[in-house]
Amino acid sequence: MSATESASLRLYWPAQRQRNRGAGGLLIVVAAFLALYAYLFPGLLSVGGVAKFSQSWLPLALVSMAQAILMLAGGVSLAIGAMVSLGAVIAATTMAGPLGVAGGSALVIVAGLGAGAACGVIVVRLGLPAIVVTLAASFIIGGGALLILPRPGGTIPAWLSDWLAGDTPVAALLVVLAVMFWKLYLATPLGLSLYAAGENPDAAYRAGVPVDAARIAAYAVSGLLSTCAGLFVAAKTGSGDPVIGEAFTLNSIAAAVLGGVGFLGGRGAMRGALAGSLLLSVMINVMYFLGFPPVAHYIAQGLIIIGAVALPEFTARRSSP
Amino acid sequence: MSSSEAVRFPKFRPRALLASRPFLTVLIVAAVWIAASVVKPGFGAFGHLRYLVELGAVVGLAAIGQTFVVIAGGIDLSVGAIITVSAVGAPLVSFAFDESGAFAALITLAAATVIGVLNGLGVAFLRAHPMIMTLAMATFLQGLLILLAGGSAISAQSPLLEWLGSARPGGVPAGVIVWAIASVLSLLALHATPFGAHVFALGANSLAATLSGVNVRATTVAVYAISGLTAGMTGLLLLGMNGQGYVGIGDPYLLSSIAAVVLGGTSILGGSGTYAGSIPGAVLLVTITALITVVNASPGWRSILFGSLILALLLISGRESRRR
Repeated sequence: MSATESASLRLYWPAQRQRNRGAGGLLIVVAAFLALYAYLFPGLLSVGGVAKFSQSWLPLALVSMAQAILMLAGGVSLAIGAMVSLGAVIAATTMAGPLGVAGGSALVIVAGLGAGAACGVIVVRLGLPAIVVTLAASFIIGGGALLILPRPGGTIPAWLSDWLAGDTPVAALLVVLAVMFWKLYLATPLGLSLYAAGENPDAAYRAGVPVDAARIAAYAVSGLLSTCAGLFVAAKTGSGDPVIGEAFTLNSIAAAVLGGVGFLGGRGAMRGALAGSLLLSVMINVMYFLGFPPVAHYIAQGLIIIGAVALPEFTARRSSP
Repeated sequence: MSSSEAVRFPKFRPRALLASRPFLTVLIVAAVWIAASVVKPGFGAFGHLRYLVELGAVVGLAAIGQTFVVIAGGIDLSVGAIITVSAVGAPLVSFAFDESGAFAALITLAAATVIGVLNGLGVAFLRAHPMIMTLAMATFLQGLLILLAGGSAISAQSPLLEWLGSARPGGVPAGVIVWAIASVLSLLALHATPFGAHVFALGANSLAATLSGVNVRATTVAVYAISGLTAGMTGLLLLGMNGQGYVGIGDPYLLSSIAAVVLGGTSILGGSGTYAGSIPGAVLLVTITALITVVNASPGWRSILFGSLILALLLISGRESRRR
């Protein structure tokens, strides 16, 4: 027992270093952008500044985690945005009603887990391509959100909005909480199987890893994170909107890929995806702060994504022919 | 490998015909058309079916480039943005000497092709993942579009666009004629030229293709250039049919182009498939959309129906063999 424990400790730090290796350049870029933002907007370094910034970051951080967990498991989801919308409309229609905040939150969680697991079962058990299944799922889930709330409306109890998106940095704590949950998840059998199932499913299966269960669980957790992001977005705006999540699909992929998470499964780490989402979020904030026109936002965002993806390629090519 | 050989050297065997995915998709389209016209008599009228095929031409043109890219192992998520750029950009390009509008159309197509080439350069030389490269391109183009159009619709009047949108030589819509010519050319390019063989080789195993002497980078740039070109053609056709271009006009065609390719039996993982399947795939998608409009449901139900039907069709025809 102690022998395996020391062996796992000996393996732990090299594994961590391996996962950090790809993210080094990204972390420097993120730090530079954060420094620029703090220089332009000194208020960032106060409690209120951290609260406001983490509120704009949290939804993107959650959906990036949702996308990264799928990509680590060898999948991808184009239904993230629809899931966010679903979470937002469920929260906005139930929380002010007889179910209350607790019942509404439970519904959001169940909807996320259920819709995610359904996608997972179809992809994994029926052997259909993930891109196309989640594309079809985005229509179904988005349609469901439209049925629940055909046009923007609904209400979130004011105290919940104040608590989640007020002047206290609750959102920053939630990011920390999400990271802790991710670490815990990685310690469960399903989480342990995640990387193996994504990297080489055949080998993992022969080694006794529950490949199918790990991948379906990844889809369920991804759905959960997405609908929770929707809940937060609804709390931030105070109401629900059936199409509010649309932009999150592409941004979640962009953040995960910026963070070095690979499309083929088993490559990358959650810290990279979080750093990627932080970069996107800081970038958007800086451009708003500098008063860039929306045109420049899109153009700069496109260029920075390509640049950040291309950069490791150039450095890698120089070091290894 | 054996499947692509079967496509290249077809031998007539009835069982092979039934196993052929393009043929299966044609059968599904025929079944849906017959069932729909029994339930709703107006559906099977010649005029309505011709209208469906005309709409299918828009999806089908966009699916040409998508088919090339997907067979080569990539995916093009900038198709919608390129369609919008050409539909919004074409009216802005007009010259006094250019009365027919042909020169403006050529410039638009050239611009669309250049966008595709840039996608290809990014994928081939920067080694950006196709999804992220074309996504970033789509974001970039979105900014460019707001710069070009300023958010308002731009109407276009030129004889060429008018012909594309409304002419019916011999009862066949001009868009369908353009689609048919483009389809024949792309089928020939895909199945009867060395370039087509390279595209399949690249998608099946890019390392093996490199080692076999295929110029992987040039082939990659070429497939994205084709995608840009056909997206540009789609934009012009849409502009002709609509009479005006606006920001967002091309958005629906991104998802339909991918869905048409997959419903037609092309593997999303690359390396196998044919444009012959994307043709009935495009018509099938348009038919589904038309049927859902007939049902007259709320937008939510319409969206749910569309997604469920695509899933159901995938279950019938889209099973991937387990491979990575």
